[in-house]
Amino acid sequence: MDTSSNVRKPRAAKAGVEASRAAKAGTSLSDTCEQLVKLSTRAGADDAEAFAERSRESSVKVRDGEVEELQQATSRGVGLRVFVGGRLGFAYGTDFGKDGMRKLAELAVALARGAAKDASNVLPRKLGRAADSEGDYDPAIEHIDPAWKLGAARAAEKAARAAHPDVRKFDSTGAGDYLSHHAVASTHGSPGEARASYAYVYCSPVAERDGQLQTASWSDMRRRLALLESPGLVGRIAAERAVRMLGARKVKTQKVPVIFDPQMAAGFIGGLSEAVNGNLVFKKSSFLGDKLGKRIAPGHVTITDDATLGGGIATRPFDGEGVASQRTPIIEEGVLRSFLYDTATARKAKARSTGSAQRGWSSLPSIGTSNLFLERGTSAPADIIKGVKRGLYVTAMLGRGADVVTGDYSRGANGLWIEDGELVYPVQEITVAGNLLEMLMGIDAVGTDLDFRSSTAAPTIRFAEMMVSGT
Amino acid sequence: MATAEKAAAQESAARKTTRPAPLLPLALVEKLLGAAIARGASFGEVYVERATTTAVQLDEGKIKSAQVGSITGVGVRAIRGAQVGYAYSDDLDEAALLRTAETAALIADGTREAVPQSMSRRPLPTHYQVKQPLAEVDVARKIELVKQADAAARAYDKRIQQVMGGYADQTKELLVANTLGHFAEDRQDLCRLGIQCVAFGKKGERRTGFYGGGGRVDFRFFDDFSPAQVGREAARQAIATLGAVPAPAGPQTVVLAPGWSGILLHEAVGHGLEADFIRKGTSLFAGKLGEKVASDLVTVIDDGTVAGGRGSLNVDDEGNAGERKVLIEKGVLRGYLYDHLNAGLTGQRSTGSGRRQSFRHAPLPRMTNTYLAPGDSTPEEIVGGVRKGLYCRQFGGGQVDISNGNFVFEISEAYLIEDGEITKPVKGAMLIGVGPEALKNVVQVGCDASHDPGLGTCGKDGQSVPVGVGLPTVRIDNMTVGGTGA
Repeated sequence: MDTSSNVRKPRAAKAGVEASRAAKAGTSLSDTCEQLVKLSTRAGADDAEAFAERSRESSVKVRDGEVEELQQATSRGVGLRVFVGGRLGFAYGTDFGKDGMRKLAELAVALARGAAKDASNVLPRKLGRAADSEGDYDPAIEHIDPAWKLGAARAAEKAARAAHPDVRKFDSTGAGDYLSHHAVASTHGSPGEARASYAYVYCSPVAERDGQLQTASWSDMRRRLALLESPGLVGRIAAERAVRMLGARKVKTQKVPVIFDPQMAAGFIGGLSEAVNGNLVFKKSSFLGDKLGKRIAPGHVTITDDATLGGGIATRPFDGEGVASQRTPIIEEGVLRSFLYDTATARKAKARSTGSAQRGWSSLPSIGTSNLFLERGTSAPADIIKGVKRGLYVTAMLGRGADVVTGDYSRGANGLWIEDGELVYPVQEITVAGNLLEMLMGIDAVGTDLDFRSSTAAPTIRFAEMMVSGT
Repeated sequence: MATAEKAAAQESAARKTTRPAPLLPLALVEKLLGAAIARGASFGEVYVERATTTAVQLDEGKIKSAQVGSITGVGVRAIRGAQVGYAYSDDLDEAALLRTAETAALIADGTREAVPQSMSRRPLPTHYQVKQPLAEVDVARKIELVKQADAAARAYDKRIQQVMGGYADQTKELLVANTLGHFAEDRQDLCRLGIQCVAFGKKGERRTGFYGGGGRVDFRFFDDFSPAQVGREAARQAIATLGAVPAPAGPQTVVLAPGWSGILLHEAVGHGLEADFIRKGTSLFAGKLGEKVASDLVTVIDDGTVAGGRGSLNVDDEGNAGERKVLIEKGVLRGYLYDHLNAGLTGQRSTGSGRRQSFRHAPLPRMTNTYLAPGDSTPEEIVGGVRKGLYCRQFGGGQVDISNGNFVFEISEAYLIEDGEITKPVKGAMLIGVGPEALKNVVQVGCDASHDPGLGTCGKDGQSVPVGVGLPTVRIDNMTVGGTGA
């Protein structure tokens, strides 16, 4: 149940960066984590691990050139994982006071006593290390001029309006920045602290003609302010994407080649990545579970998860349980090479952690991707379209799509119809469906247009044949 | 200030109960309200929340973990015209809270114009069915629920080889006060038990089933809504769909089974009637009040007063009472869902629809429990009258584009209807349509009114809130089904 009005914002674990508060407590995040670990062992834990985070967020939305909403906050929190006799307990809170921390430790230990014993209840013994340099932390974002956001959002809205007379309404337009600072410590040591910075701008205009409304969204998010796409360009692209959908209609039900634009292709590999989640694989609940080392796609398909990628949105020195970040080839020239693991699942599956533990302070670690991308191919995007006699170019989708347990794929689609290699008219209210194994083997073109505007990225791709359902 | 305390004192005297201390001293609340409008905002609001969450996760037949967390925080909003300033803090120190209010106040850049009205508490009905706060129920009892559901699912059929399940609850206390003098406190408990199964068939075939339920209910709810029954139903779905053939693609007659199928209304019309989209003119339902937007058989109600409903609210997150609203009456559009901001800007009154995920979010107009009023056909008549079509028994999630009205929802358990009989299971089906067109094609509505068992969570602008939906058995003609079959 999601409206497509969702805008991309850092999916931030909410947590606080305020010098005065740290100063008040007189401790750093690492110190807080280490104290909690000590309090936990004192309360009866054999092993303990604390994850703490502070964040600062600030954003603005505009409408008709005026501020519509200003939002600003700092916050912080800590999550505590303890093991007592092979049993796991987890508690979290926002009280960093001595008393609060002691109670948190006691609560976590009490909870562990109610859970089941499990041999996979282990913490990583080998931890990564915080980067020596600031890496992808941008002080320009920390010291950003509060007027920047308003200026950026206004520029995006103005450019969208100027792009076409049919753009008169907006769902929303905005810009913002986000800083986070987190630390991990356990009975096996601490990798230290890590910082991250983000700046973003987005625009969702609504085009209107003959009573039909069409919306589209375009955005950019970067770790460094200087690399952010110009807000005017974000607005113009958003407007063009909305306007070109005006007059959209249904097409007949038929099997045709289907092209996913880079955003939709990124969504596809993002959905697919669930199938390499080591936990689902271990439970025999992934359609790729028995395909390790086998060819599952043509040679031009290479998918990589890389938490060390320079400038990547999800780049980090260590994962959510402190394990060093790495680059993991998932599909290499069409062959399935690796699944993704955190420490507990790796222990069960007799594999190694790939540094894929993802977490916020209010949840246990779970397996997730970092910077996930389909490597650039050799086809110019225009040539991929030209090679289609009759087919569909998909630019927006509705629904969840991939079911990685069963391998079924079915999604609502909007886009442009292709006749004789040309984009001829907009289409909507149709679905595209297929079987994930057949879809992967059927990727017959990969574009050159790879661009990292979010943590999951892909160039244009073409599937040789999918079922399009319409009239 | 005295007024609120006096009101509180009188009320508690009348009820002969002792009211627990407010989440934040009322004198401080009033100070924050004053700070929020000190620079000329016309409206200030303070929202305080204390939420305690418990989660029990089960994996491979074992309790993987029990998790408990508690967060208290304050959100301050200042409004000037259509402009909103919002700031929040999880530091309850007076100085930190005053800084938070001053940050929200920055939306205005002049001097104080409005004066906070004295706060007065309004009497509230209760729509919840909770006696003991869920946070106070022993974790061991919650663990036991999940274990029973897991065991029942595994015992159902030996082809059920994976079961994942969980129980989660939240006890949320909130206090909301604004400069118009509104003051409300509420305790909102919510729980949910859910079980997912994977059945393994021949040649590596896998099918999944999911079932569960809950609501704003007492823990004793699970005495009747038994975990064993939840586990068996999840297992039944997975086993029933083994051997399913690909869903036929293209337009066809569909019959929706009652309950969670109400997601159709949530996606096809509900979001499009939320007042923010209406005010901005970005919804295809904007400006259509009084127009025919659905078949005569369609009456859609959003009801925040359903007893124990997952989306029910004694008060919304702006302090307005939950209401029952008729949105569409016999096919005619009758109303929208208003929060304080959008109601004020369009000369309407709030319908008690202002909701937020937590103190970290400004409220938005949202649905509560959205359902279709029952008709007079029996379910048997409806299925029996279809020569060729699709019977949709269980549903997954959905999504809508509120501008062009395109919506989808996934069908997790479906069967062909051939000559009035439900026959073979089909897989990979999804429905797509445009809101008003789909609702004009509703040709039969069953007499078997039904609410979902209490599972839904709705996402909008990055905020999740619990919702309920409901639908009787319904027949819709000419609905596009996505699938891979011919």
